[in-house]
Amino acid sequence: MIQADKLSRLYGEKYAVRDLSFHINHGEVMGLLGPNGAGKSTTMKMLTCFLPPSSGTATVDGIDVQQDLDVRRRVGYLPEHAPSYSDLSVQEHLLFMGRMYGVPEATLKDKIHEMAGACGLEGRLSQRIDELSKGYRQRVGLAASMLHNPDCLILDEPTTGLDPNQMVEIRQLIRRLGEKKTVLLSSHILSEVDAVCDRMMIIDSGELRGMGTRDELIALSSVGLVLDVCMRGDADAVVVQICRQYKGCEVDRLGLEEGVVKLAFRHSDMTIPLAEAVFAAVVAVGGVLLEMHAQETSLEDVFHRLTGSDA
Amino acid sequence: MSISRFQMISLCRKEWRVVMDTPLGYVMAIAFLSMCGFFFESNLFLLGQADMRAWFSILSLLLMFFIPAMAMRMLADEKRSGTFELLATMPITTMTIVLGKYLALCLQILALLVLTLLYPLTLSWLGNLDVGQVLASYLAAVLLASSYAAVCLYASAVTRYEVVAYVFGFIMLLLSFLFFKAMPTFSHAVQDWLVLLSPLSHYQSMLRGLIRLSDVMFFIAMNGLFLTLTWFELERRRWR
Repeated sequence: MIQADKLSRLYGEKYAVRDLSFHINHGEVMGLLGPNGAGKSTTMKMLTCFLPPSSGTATVDGIDVQQDLDVRRRVGYLPEHAPSYSDLSVQEHLLFMGRMYGVPEATLKDKIHEMAGACGLEGRLSQRIDELSKGYRQRVGLAASMLHNPDCLILDEPTTGLDPNQMVEIRQLIRRLGEKKTVLLSSHILSEVDAVCDRMMIIDSGELRGMGTRDELIALSSVGLVLDVCMRGDADAVVVQICRQYKGCEVDRLGLEEGVVKLAFRHSDMTIPLAEAVFAAVVAVGGVLLEMHAQETSLEDVFHRLTGSDA
Repeated sequence: MSISRFQMISLCRKEWRVVMDTPLGYVMAIAFLSMCGFFFESNLFLLGQADMRAWFSILSLLLMFFIPAMAMRMLADEKRSGTFELLATMPITTMTIVLGKYLALCLQILALLVLTLLYPLTLSWLGNLDVGQVLASYLAAVLLASSYAAVCLYASAVTRYEVVAYVFGFIMLLLSFLFFKAMPTFSHAVQDWLVLLSPLSHYQSMLRGLIRLSDVMFFIAMNGLFLTLTWFELERRRWR
């Protein structure tokens, strides 16, 4: 389990991360989303003891990150761009990583083969890392981070540079790992976080903007119910009737072409039966309802609204 | 500050592996041994004596050029390629990283010095070599080289760029050499300080075949100082 309480990190006088509080349960995959410079990597660096927090606390399996060696043993970390020793072969790199994490020599080779299998590196073990594609280097980094069987995995953009097939494989792997471990992963790819993570948190300018499941985030940032209507007939009468029936309802006229009116009805309360009311109103004024659908809030919309930028 | 010996040796082995697997180590060894051989042979035929003092004097200059080249990638390359983040998040202390790198560098230099043992062996076969003096001189060379290694490891810790690390390390060693050479131009009071603080004056003193505790302690202190500075430089990211 990973827990952060008012975690902050200053660079000079500027906050890279400010008062960040969250917890990730065992057997849960948490996604960390945010625009560039939001503080994702700094947060991960504090949780992996690369940087100490300026204030606040963070614990990994109940151990404070200030007691860094005990925390580091429990964490598997894949830094951004998956750095590795390019002069070594994959096997040599993994042997080195295993030894540094104290994996017993007797089981190290078996462990390397197990991780190589899990990350699709069979047949690549004797190849030098500088001869590998970016996707395979990413896999090497992922295999190295899991070699010592850590309880927590912290993965900074784990699928960067992978082709779509590799992405699917790595996502499945992370999903499997997430059943038994605590996983925190950052990504710019919203669909990836959506597919892999149980919960996600969105940060911007170092501050938490939202946290929860996909549906909870959508509810948190939703502007309410939006209904797009395309009709022929007396649109003004329909608008008057709906606005009288539901106080606070806003209407945008999107256009008029050859007698067809496009309207967008907005209401903050998502529970009202707006579609039924619009249908009844159009029928009542003798109009023809050509099209009607409720706009769905996507994760991109949530990201955009919470951070004020695009992913 | 706990130091894990096993991890330190693993790091040292990895460095050794990198040197053995890349042309860098071989190029360095060939260049160093060629230069050593050239100066050994020149002195031998010029002087016509079974004596290595002149060669050991030149060796200090060669070390000044070669050790920055051997040390430049040690930490600068880790920082530039991002692997330092891997190292710094492993369950080891920063001092273990510093000592692992330093040990690897010292072993590489030692391997080169061991290969030069061919020269005293040749001389002892050709003439009457003062074995005691040569052994003391080799000890002096090892101590001087290890101190230079500590200086250059620090130079490699302050930058991400290997060339900058080389230039910075070389300039620090060059300054100590220039101060040593310019010693007679200074006042007596300054000369006393320079004799005390110049690695080359302690080295020259040992080349006479005399192993004084003060000389050995000087080199140990110099190693300690620069390894601590390297540790400080690597830890500095945490206090920014």
